[in-house]
Amino acid sequence: MPKLGRAGARMPPVRPQILDVAPALVNALMNHIRTCTTLAALAGGSALVALVVCLLGGFTAAAGESWTYLLIAAGTMGATACAGAALWQVLRHERAAMHYFDRLSRIDPHDLTTGTASAELPTLEKTNPWRATAERLQRSLADACRRAEEAEHTRTSLEVRARRCMVEHEQIKAVLEGLAEPVIAIDDFDEVVLANSCAESLLGFDLDQAPERALDKLVRCEELLELLTDTRRRKGPLHRRGELKFEGAPGVENWYSVEVQTIPSSRTSTDSGESTHGAVAVLREISGHKDAQKRIAEFVSAVSHEMKTPLTGIRAYVELLADGDAEDEETREEFLQVINSQASRLQRLIDNLLNLARIEAGVVQVSKEPQSLNELMEESLGVVQPAAEAKQIVLQSDLSPMYLGVLADQDMLLQAAINLLSNAIKYTPEGGRVTLRSRMNGPEVTFEVEDTGVGLSPEDCQKIFEKFYRVRKDEKMSQGTGLGLPLARHIVEDVHSGSLTVESEPGVGSTFRVVLPGAAQLTAASSSSSSSSDLAIRRSS
Amino acid sequence: MTASILLCDDEVHIVRAAEIKFRRAGYDVRCAHDGQQAWELIEQQRPDLLITDCQMPRMNGLQLVERARSHEATLHLPIIMLTAKGFELVPAEIIAKWNVEDVLPKPFSPRELLRRAEEILARRSAPDTQLTGDETNCVGTVLAPHAHADQE
Repeated sequence: MPKLGRAGARMPPVRPQILDVAPALVNALMNHIRTCTTLAALAGGSALVALVVCLLGGFTAAAGESWTYLLIAAGTMGATACAGAALWQVLRHERAAMHYFDRLSRIDPHDLTTGTASAELPTLEKTNPWRATAERLQRSLADACRRAEEAEHTRTSLEVRARRCMVEHEQIKAVLEGLAEPVIAIDDFDEVVLANSCAESLLGFDLDQAPERALDKLVRCEELLELLTDTRRRKGPLHRRGELKFEGAPGVENWYSVEVQTIPSSRTSTDSGESTHGAVAVLREISGHKDAQKRIAEFVSAVSHEMKTPLTGIRAYVELLADGDAEDEETREEFLQVINSQASRLQRLIDNLLNLARIEAGVVQVSKEPQSLNELMEESLGVVQPAAEAKQIVLQSDLSPMYLGVLADQDMLLQAAINLLSNAIKYTPEGGRVTLRSRMNGPEVTFEVEDTGVGLSPEDCQKIFEKFYRVRKDEKMSQGTGLGLPLARHIVEDVHSGSLTVESEPGVGSTFRVVLPGAAQLTAASSSSSSSSDLAIRRSS
Repeated sequence: MTASILLCDDEVHIVRAAEIKFRRAGYDVRCAHDGQQAWELIEQQRPDLLITDCQMPRMNGLQLVERARSHEATLHLPIIMLTAKGFELVPAEIIAKWNVEDVLPKPFSPRELLRRAEEILARRSAPDTQLTGDETNCVGTVLAPHAHADQE
């Protein structure tokens, strides 16, 4: 940014230069008067000599004889008297002029205005031969004063504008520094004229300390260089967008969107769209947006992958049937059963997805009623029993003999229990054991699903409730949707205000523990609400 | 002589569907449900064609292919990969990197899988493209690690 003059520094006042000649005029007049005085003295002396000569001549004439000499003497005396009078008059005018110009030279030019110029000066007589000169000088002085006043006014206006520009510059700088978005501007010569600290930090330079301001010397990002310089070269207003990737810490990529536009050189030229003066780039970090896009893409990919597997079965067996590959009725029946089971699997996946989406969206219709937790547990055991038998897994029931009341949505809590049990059966090798346990724990009720499965690493325990997350070494150990545990957690924590945690040891097994508020506790807390109601659940996180 | 096919997928019903299709077409079919099991079957007898899924427990499809390509006896074993992955696994990259014959995305048609397998087997049995090594050999005795020049 071009540096403006220091705020408050005043320029020297504009004053009429004509005053500078006044002392010279006074000196000239003084010299002139001295000359005239000398001449007058000489004239007086001559007149005195002439008078003496005349008197001597007159006495001589009177004594003898002639009026002629008397007349000559008288005439000489008269001429001398006239010359003296004239000389006296000249000296008087000269003194008046000298006084005038002396006053003129004493005027302080800083206080001089058009009015004071004429007010402070004496008036010369009309017969004074210097009057014309003085009048011309006075007119010139008045004119100079007027011009000086105009110049002073212009100078003051310029100073005000300069100060305003300085203030605006500082304001703009403060605003830019306050922005979280990096901003960088270049001029017509591709030199950086402005960059806020965010831009300096991101692009790795210090504009104040940089030995040169050429853009290509300061900025290493080729895409940004090209965008800025290419936009700057265009004539007329132009607005371009792009995305830039900056390497942050090792393995970390920071994405920025960049908007580059030309800087109009003036309002008029902007309107006509003819010329521009450099370009400015504003960057905005979109790493979060990119991460979200990536997560969405991964989610879509995971969903599509999960859908493709049952779809493959359906398509393959339909084709086998169509091609007549079923040799007998039994095989045909087997094919139809596979198609049916895969269609059911697909439906379960879609149902889970929809349930999860409803809960994550924040609003889900829930109908809570007092339930016996043990009855729900027994029902869930019945649902998963065939799957356990298929893998020769012992399904143990260790339910509390006490009545464990919970205020719960029966279907949803049953779904959560089934999901936990199914997960345990899936990740437990054949011949293993899965135990379902329920207990009263003060005002709360607890149920646990313990297995002798593959177990989880600490990292797995952190991520096991994420959608489609599977323990890496046991990927696709069995047919699952990858949504069972996330859905169970949402049901327990978001819908029933409970908690779902996991403890595990790799190679030994895992225990998933659900803690729910007891029915009495919930009833007391929400005595004003009916026992059966539709609740809108908003996820807290 | 009947060509032998090794099918490998952890989805039992998918393996079963392909198995029925290939058996009815007259092929000798063996089945595995993870990469480790498939490799054990390869060690017992080298198949003429390996058809394997990508995502499997114990040893996934890519690990299986990598192991096959690092041994002399299975260096040129024709392989068809099945994948339900979308953009994470690009077929052209898999083919180029692992020298597999074909990549078939799921859901696939058994009919189409059979057609492609027959094409590959026909191409491999042509006189000018005979494989090196004894295809009927039990590979368990010659499975020494081999630096595959095409890799990386």
